[in-house]
Amino acid sequence: MAAIFTRLTNAFILNNIRLFALTLLFSIPLGLIIAFGSMNKWKPFRFLDSKAADGHRHGPKTIRAALASFRPISALVKLFVWIIRGTPLMLQILIIYFGPGLLELAFGWPKGNAGRMPAAVVTFSINYACYFSEIYRGGIQSIPKGQSEAGQVLGMTRSQIFFRVTLLQLVKRIVPPMGNEIITLIKDTALANYISILELIMTAKEYTSAGLIWPLFATAFYFLAFVGILTLLFGWVEKKLNFFRT
Amino acid sequence: MKKTSRIIALLLALMMCLTLCACNKDDTPPSTSTDVNIQDIVESAAPEAEGEGEPETDPEPAEDDLAYVTGNGKLIIGYTVYEPMNYTDENGEFTGFDTELAKAVCEKLGLEPEFVIINWDTKEVALAAKDIDCIWNGMTLNADREANMACTVPYVKNAQVVVVKEGFEYTDTASLIGGVVCAEIGSAGELLIKGDDETEPDANLAQAEYAGKSVQTDCLMEVKANTADAAVLDLTLAKSMTGEGTDYADLVIVDYLAEENYGVAFRQGSNIRDEVNSIFAELLEDGTLQALADKYSLELADTEAAA
Repeated sequence: MAAIFTRLTNAFILNNIRLFALTLLFSIPLGLIIAFGSMNKWKPFRFLDSKAADGHRHGPKTIRAALASFRPISALVKLFVWIIRGTPLMLQILIIYFGPGLLELAFGWPKGNAGRMPAAVVTFSINYACYFSEIYRGGIQSIPKGQSEAGQVLGMTRSQIFFRVTLLQLVKRIVPPMGNEIITLIKDTALANYISILELIMTAKEYTSAGLIWPLFATAFYFLAFVGILTLLFGWVEKKLNFFRT
Repeated sequence: MKKTSRIIALLLALMMCLTLCACNKDDTPPSTSTDVNIQDIVESAAPEAEGEGEPETDPEPAEDDLAYVTGNGKLIIGYTVYEPMNYTDENGEFTGFDTELAKAVCEKLGLEPEFVIINWDTKEVALAAKDIDCIWNGMTLNADREANMACTVPYVKNAQVVVVKEGFEYTDTASLIGGVVCAEIGSAGELLIKGDDETEPDANLAQAEYAGKSVQTDCLMEVKANTADAAVLDLTLAKSMTGEGTDYADLVIVDYLAEENYGVAFRQGSNIRDEVNSIFAELLEDGTLQALADKYSLELADTEAAA
């Protein structure tokens, strides 16, 4: 029994927790880039909107007007987020891992175990970055516009306003929803067994297929304990960030 | 510290009790053996009541399984989609060697067969939990399975084959040293690559990197996607899934390894097994089995093995 627990623990740390940590490392900053992409206000056809300049804003909607308010970067990023959030993560893992080989692309993952973890990290990072980006966007937009206007009046640049005014409040506001996603992430790492990453549940199933049932159910305790630690951690972070309170 | 470990110990004990209850009806306390050998644990946990890890050769049936199944009026057969054993043909009809054989046997037993799809990884759990009454799906007989379930005599012969992509230079298993080889977890193919306490692996395959998959068809996907060099899987499946006219037209069977036998598994101690064994003998005698085997181009198990 001790041997089984040692093996399960190793599988959990080497695969589930490693995938979890690497995914967070890449997806947290990537999510911010995606969030900025989806909020991008660049309108290349703005010049078409002559009526708006003239003040006739309530006229009939024309293609011209629609084109004038078209934001290509934002639209593209939103399309991407829709695709990633709209398809099962399990399918994305299979596509990312097998896709290059099946389509005979020049790029391919290295054969065998060397390619599995990188493919999983890439898939999970993209997937989670999309979810994070929406949380960031909500956080950024919840901060009163007056603050950035005040910053502009004081002569701060846009990046100064973001890093010195918005970010600190943003971090504080997104802790609960981020906690939710991060808890989901550790459980989703089990999906990596679709590309034969020997994670906790797959390891436990080996015993089950030899006739021993309990290891499969015992895996629940690993996830439960890990989520317990995360919950305490998020509680602590929230307490630490409890500034600006009135 | 002490308190925490006591709580953990309590939770683990609870788990053990729950899982044992799922296996049998008597409330035997879990074996206190601290032996770390997986095989011993498997053997001591799964069968009926027994003392101190002493494996009993013939455990008493917990109850009359045939009476239980007859009471339900139907035999619930667990299967996975597996050509040519259990599959749906072009006309949308559920057929296959095992499908037809199971129907014939059920007719003789006076039972209605009910086919349900199972997860191959958790088939033993489903069987013990009475979710299904038997596993009848081209299951390879081995010592583990015969120790933990009531398995019939072999009825069909199979082999493990090596499948590679066309153009791969294969002479024998030595060609795969240092390569990547896939097999289904818990399958006879895996045993050839990894071995276990009783079985020596193939000396060459043991020097390849092993990748376990949860279904055999995924192994073919790995080979096709170039993420693995070779797959070791059942001859019956490899035959029907590769070659011209299939999605795996560029994969070829290059080697035949260990031969093995298929059997049907019933619950530990079930008395249906003996009934089915004698029906198999009848069907073999009147030529029904041979006719079915010809229809699906399979080979029947050797009669010496069946006797």
